Amino acid sequence: MAISREAYQALEDIVGPENISEEPAILDSYAFQWLAEFRQHGSKFMPRAGAVVLPGSTEEVQAVVKICIRYKLKCKAHSTGWGLYGAPITENAIQLDMRRMDRILKIDEHNMFAVIEPYVIGATLQAEAMKVGLNTHMIGAGASCSPLAAATSFQGAGPDSIFMGSGPENLLAAEWVMPTGEILRTGSLGSGLGWFSGDGLGPSLRGIFKGILGACGGLGVFTKVAVKLYPWPGPTVMPIEGTVPAYTAQLPENIRAHTLAWSTWEGYADAVYKIYNNDIGYIAHRQFIMFGDELQAAVLKILTDTTRTLNDLEELLKKPEIQKLSEEMRRSFQIVLVGMTPRDIEYQEKVLNQILAETGGWKIAAMEEPTMAGWSLLYMIKLCFKNLNYVYAGGFHDAMARAGTPDLVTSGWMEEMREQKRKFGKQGGIVNDGGDAGMGGVGTAGGGGYNAFENFILYDPGDAASVEAARACNVDAGHIAVEAGAGGYNFFFMEKEQVQALLAGRARPAIFQWQQKIKEAFDPNGVGDGSYLCLDE
Amino acid sequence: MGEKKEELIKIVGDNNVLDDPETLDSYSSDYSFVPSRKPWFVVKARNADEVQRIVEWANRTVTPLVPVSSGPPHFRGDTVPSEGGAVIVDLSEMKRIITIDGKNRMTIVEPGVTYSQLQPELAKEGLRLSMPLLPRRNKSVAASLIEREPTLIPKYRWLSADPLRCLEIVWGNGDKMMTGEAGNFASIEAAWKRYFALLNPRGPAQVDYYRLVQAAQGTMGIVTWTALRCEKLPKVQKLFLVPAKRLDELLDFAYRLLRFRFGDEFLFLNSFNLACILGEVADVIKALRDELPRWVLILSLSGRDILPEEKVEFLEKDIADIAQQFGLRLISSVPGASSGRVLEAILNPSKEPYWKLGYKGGCQDIFFLTTLNRTPEFVRTMYSVAEAQGYPASDIGIYIQPVHQGASCHCEFSLPYDRSGQVEVTKMQGLFTEASEQLLKEGAFFSRPYGFWADMAYNKDTQTTMVLKKVKDIFDPNHVMNAGKLCF
Repeated sequence: MAISREAYQALEDIVGPENISEEPAILDSYAFQWLAEFRQHGSKFMPRAGAVVLPGSTEEVQAVVKICIRYKLKCKAHSTGWGLYGAPITENAIQLDMRRMDRILKIDEHNMFAVIEPYVIGATLQAEAMKVGLNTHMIGAGASCSPLAAATSFQGAGPDSIFMGSGPENLLAAEWVMPTGEILRTGSLGSGLGWFSGDGLGPSLRGIFKGILGACGGLGVFTKVAVKLYPWPGPTVMPIEGTVPAYTAQLPENIRAHTLAWSTWEGYADAVYKIYNNDIGYIAHRQFIMFGDELQAAVLKILTDTTRTLNDLEELLKKPEIQKLSEEMRRSFQIVLVGMTPRDIEYQEKVLNQILAETGGWKIAAMEEPTMAGWSLLYMIKLCFKNLNYVYAGGFHDAMARAGTPDLVTSGWMEEMREQKRKFGKQGGIVNDGGDAGMGGVGTAGGGGYNAFENFILYDPGDAASVEAARACNVDAGHIAVEAGAGGYNFFFMEKEQVQALLAGRARPAIFQWQQKIKEAFDPNGVGDGSYLCLDE
Repeated sequence: MGEKKEELIKIVGDNNVLDDPETLDSYSSDYSFVPSRKPWFVVKARNADEVQRIVEWANRTVTPLVPVSSGPPHFRGDTVPSEGGAVIVDLSEMKRIITIDGKNRMTIVEPGVTYSQLQPELAKEGLRLSMPLLPRRNKSVAASLIEREPTLIPKYRWLSADPLRCLEIVWGNGDKMMTGEAGNFASIEAAWKRYFALLNPRGPAQVDYYRLVQAAQGTMGIVTWTALRCEKLPKVQKLFLVPAKRLDELLDFAYRLLRFRFGDEFLFLNSFNLACILGEVADVIKALRDELPRWVLILSLSGRDILPEEKVEFLEKDIADIAQQFGLRLISSVPGASSGRVLEAILNPSKEPYWKLGYKGGCQDIFFLTTLNRTPEFVRTMYSVAEAQGYPASDIGIYIQPVHQGASCHCEFSLPYDRSGQVEVTKMQGLFTEASEQLLKEGAFFSRPYGFWADMAYNKDTQTTMVLKKVKDIFDPNHVMNAGKLCF
């Protein structure tokens, strides 16, 4: 929907003509979003924005928000963008693309935090942090995503959360252009004292903009944040070798990767508890299951052997050693141990061995082979192969997703999750990967304690029948999750009336009435696009 | 007033509405310099439903409420009414430990549960909570953590509020809410049934409600239970002392250990504070103060579940190596203190009288957040102000506690004085005010602004002040909750 000439001119005056566009092709390139095809109309496009604006500073963001208020426009920012979540879900909106704000403003080596702008990506921050012996939490969405967005606006967990916490745990002070156009600097920053604390004065106001999920861009724009960093006792520059995607790295003896397996879910759960209780592990995640329990071993072979392609999949699946490995990996996860000293790594390895002995687990021998170990180590540390989620057919989405204590895996839910998707896989339309592509499953928060799984549906977004099959699988999974009292909604795919009905049907619908009150107080002009969920009174 | 009393009696029963002069006096002031004001009534609530009915009543009658969970003495003025006609909601009788879940290392407690009550029960399940430094025996666990008091083990504070997780809150408007993952369910039991141990404090949905009651001094609502993440009780624990003449000699070493997450209890004390902890009475404290090293980094090493001895052994070797690189020594006793005595002291609540009162009977604390590297500057400032005001620097207790895994630290100056003499009280008031203002000017972040610090701190951050008022209007629209505190 086109915006008025006055509004466009006012926006152009702020950012300059080179940083604003209303060209249909440009606008559609922003509206064309992964997962948009699951919305009601089935289009691959989100609503086309009135203009896309690239601000270069906090002041420009603030001025843009004020213009949006003046001309009654919606406003939504995305940083690196990850699916339809960063795009406006309503008409009459301005899309802010934060790519010009891409600076690492500071790395405080002693107090272990970095101050970053929205378009700093995990990979860049990690590379800079490693130069001074530090590392950054990498969210599950991968190294190309914005740590700022993860910490303020979406979910923020990742494979390293057990040691490095999740995005919101790592958030210190933040600079927030509120939907009124005013700027709030949280914690110590608000008093002009630096970035070291995000809490106070008194109550912690970051509670307003980030819960289990952030406002997804629906409640203002975050322009700078400080995030905690973590120790990295490895090389200051990652010694990467090989050819994509078979990258590998020879890392020092104090950094190791294993794939651990159990014959029962009880053993798996017991081991996870023991890992928490003994404070070992730098990264721990059920990662490669994302390729599907029956396909993962073959895909790993393809990814680590540059002579192989996906065309070899069927041939590889027939090989007994591949079948054996897939079976062995069914109840497995990857763990990276990082010792701060030689004695530390020796101790961690011993504890891990004892945990395996006590829980009936083992290290999968094929994954200990140097090529595989080097590849998986690099994968887990850098998390830079997120594109592999799309490897089979170009699209992925969630079937059943669930969080809980480690014991969750012993409840029968894993089998239910697998069967739920397997049923659809057999019908065709989505990749028949065995049913269990339930990634996650070790620790979603600092120190562990609870974890989450998301079972991927792999589909072809260019094929209407495949999209429909994936949608059916997702909807079916959602019903099961709601009956289980968890998750089960994906409001980005729904019309407003459906969202209202969904929120009203929750066990505690009042929480969305509280959000309505917050919305009224913080966004009285309705600049947000509706991603901040509100239940009408 | 008679009618109000009758209505309160209907809610909590005759025996739980108190208005005798002695009781009202005991709630009308504390050890702070906050002006005293007598409440109308003290109401002892016994459960969340009563709390909710009291808050609803307060909204109907526009009566100020002041929640109190810990027993006396209080030190910060936050439980002294700022407005006339207030009702104290005393939660100290809500002493239920609702559950201890050993496997998931969680406990759920009501606000009247104290550390001295909880820690032995946790120990039976092989657990413990990281504590603040020698809390009063009657200190509420919930109040301490909701107010973001620092605890002794920085490596387990992924969040600044750890180990606080889910809560139940009665907001200022009378609505009751469970926060975090509990908030998605109709009851705690329903959450447990679905494999949620109330570990995840975030949400529900897109708001972290539990953050909005933190350090709020009871101005947003009343918390009726808290879910807390515990640690495994160590099987082996050794404590070491790293002495130094100057604080800055310890900092690079400390930064290295914080980075490696080596060590559990991890704190700095100056000689006077350590003497107060070990000495208990004035003469002994003085003698110890003169004998102890000027500064000590206190560091405990724990082995918990598997190979505990080996863990402590390797940590001891590694840390000794690191200490040597910085010209420091990791030792088990210093003149005046052995590691055993210090460990015994810091793993328990304070003996009676409270450890800060043993020297002169009264004490004022000035505390704030900063980063570790800046602490020597603040120590110099404190000494300089004390000297200018004729207060002996040797009587200043200093406690520095890295928090949030070392991203920042709590810096606390304790100033003992004799409360019985008006001259000394007036002098202390002057010192307290001057030092607080000077420290603020130099960059101290009074993130928990009690008493007169509130005006001082909020004047530096008008935007936060404005936004907090919006939040207050949402959750406590009639401003019945502890009116007059913070910026409200």
